[in-house]
Amino acid sequence: MKDHLSTKRSIILPPSREADWRKSLITTINQYEKGPIEIDCQDWLMKCRDLIYLNKIIESAGLAITIIKSSNPETVVSATSLGHQAHLTIKSNSNPTKNPENQSPHLNQQSKLLFHQGTLRAGEHLIAEGDVLLLGDVNPGAKISAGGDVMVWGRLRGTAHAGKSGNTAAKITALELRPLQLRIATCIARGPEEKPQPGLAEQANIEGDGIIIQPAKTTPVIENKLL
Amino acid sequence: MSSHTRIILVCSGKGGVGKTTLTANLGIALASQGAKTAVLDADFGLRNLDLLLGLENRIVYTAQEVLEESCRLDQALVRHKQESNLSLLPAGNPRMLDWLKPDDMQRIVAMLSEQFAYVLIDCPAGVEDGFKNAVSATKEAIVVTNPEVSAVRDADRVIGLLNTHGVKPVQLVLNRVRPKMIASQDMLSVEDVTDILALPLLGLVLEDEQVIVSTNRGEPLTLNGQSSPAARCYTNIARRIQGEDIPLIDPSKEGSGMRDKFRRLMQTKIF
Ligand SMILES: Nc1ncnc2c1ncn2[C@@H]1O[C@H](COP(=O)(O)OP(=O)(O)OP(=O)(O)O)[C@@H](O)[C@H]1O
Ligand SMILES: [Mg+2]
Repeated sequence: MKDHLSTKRSIILPPSREADWRKSLITTINQYEKGPIEIDCQDWLMKCRDLIYLNKIIESAGLAITIIKSSNPETVVSATSLGHQAHLTIKSNSNPTKNPENQSPHLNQQSKLLFHQGTLRAGEHLIAEGDVLLLGDVNPGAKISAGGDVMVWGRLRGTAHAGKSGNTAAKITALELRPLQLRIATCIARGPEEKPQPGLAEQANIEGDGIIIQPAKTTPVIENKLL
Repeated sequence: MSSHTRIILVCSGKGGVGKTTLTANLGIALASQGAKTAVLDADFGLRNLDLLLGLENRIVYTAQEVLEESCRLDQALVRHKQESNLSLLPAGNPRMLDWLKPDDMQRIVAMLSEQFAYVLIDCPAGVEDGFKNAVSATKEAIVVTNPEVSAVRDADRVIGLLNTHGVKPVQLVLNRVRPKMIASQDMLSVEDVTDILALPLLGLVLEDEQVIVSTNRGEPLTLNGQSSPAARCYTNIARRIQGEDIPLIDPSKEGSGMRDKFRRLMQTKIF
């Protein structure tokens, strides 16, 4: 699998029940370097119009679609009719978060940082394969998730999921940590009832079999990964 | 006039927070301040802007006939009895929900823009097709919400969608504010709401029984320069829309004690 890392790259759209692909694609597209790429549309029903729109976003980022995969037959038909190479995948019945292995194995190793500026509002979901740094708030009802660490330069008042593909060492850091719910790997915790101390950035990480919140530590997370 | 026309969508996400009441009152207030104003009922499923304006019995044609080109725009426009600067373009029958497309909405608004300085669109609740059609035709928006957690959550969702559609500016109106409940911390405060929504606050509207009275009469509060608490709020919002710099009311000073009344009197005399 790892051998294919450099040659086979793919964008996996979020499952249709989790987030709007248009939104998540626009926010994550700059994670990918220019070149050919395969697109996994998961269970999305995409008509020709949607696929044309998809292609526009892909092309504007300097990428070129090699193949479109989907577990939805209609999407595959639309893709073929537009002249794309298309492939019908078998839908896994299990919950995608419980079965992270087949989500994006080759991107797990990748420590690319997704940077997003702007507040996430109710109903919005920002998904990153590597680490994510958000300059803005995560409002109640909004969600941010990452394969690696979640860093919020702002107020985290919605839901955050770090290490979504199973990385238990992942951390969630925020200037103001007042979440509804936190998840790290498969650990889930309700947010604390009491208000955080003002002016103190906090982090959440797994300790023992639970998630704990403590003052943010200045471990050189980003530096390590850039080197 | 066309390119200077201010096209403003009044929306909320959650239903029943006061969109239609705000649209009707702002329509009257802007018109009475001399601006040629059209209000467009985009809530085709549950139209009631005509009712609030007391124009229900004057409707002959609607937006539907205009789109089908079976009548001219000025035949469908219903001019307000007392406030002749205000016209209503009524919603067609609820079947419009099935066929109306963003293009149609844009066409209607473009026609209105040629004649009016302000076009206020009363948006349906929700974030589905009716909302999307209306959003596609607007330039700016007013998000109405109440000091309640669920209304604020829905407003936040709507603001996110307005942002992705490039609607600008988006301003906030906080409706049904009850100073006493805020003081006793039984209601979200103004700061609680603006803290989450992070939008410029165009105005507060106090909870006011007169709103219900006026709704039933089909006479918006801003008609005839009435001075009930909500009427003042609506008038102030209209003046802010027109660019006047009017300070926001302070809910903690909106009590009913003698001192507060006295203070208010002093203020009106000085300014
Ligand atoms: N400031 C206020 N004080 C008291 N009552 C109010 C106030 N604003 C609105 N109301 C009442 O709230 C109810 C709902 O108002 P309105 O119809 O304007 O809401 P809406 O957002 O247009 O609803 P819908 O989503 O159904 O279209 C009405 O009965 C109205 O009289
Ligand atoms: Mg209404």
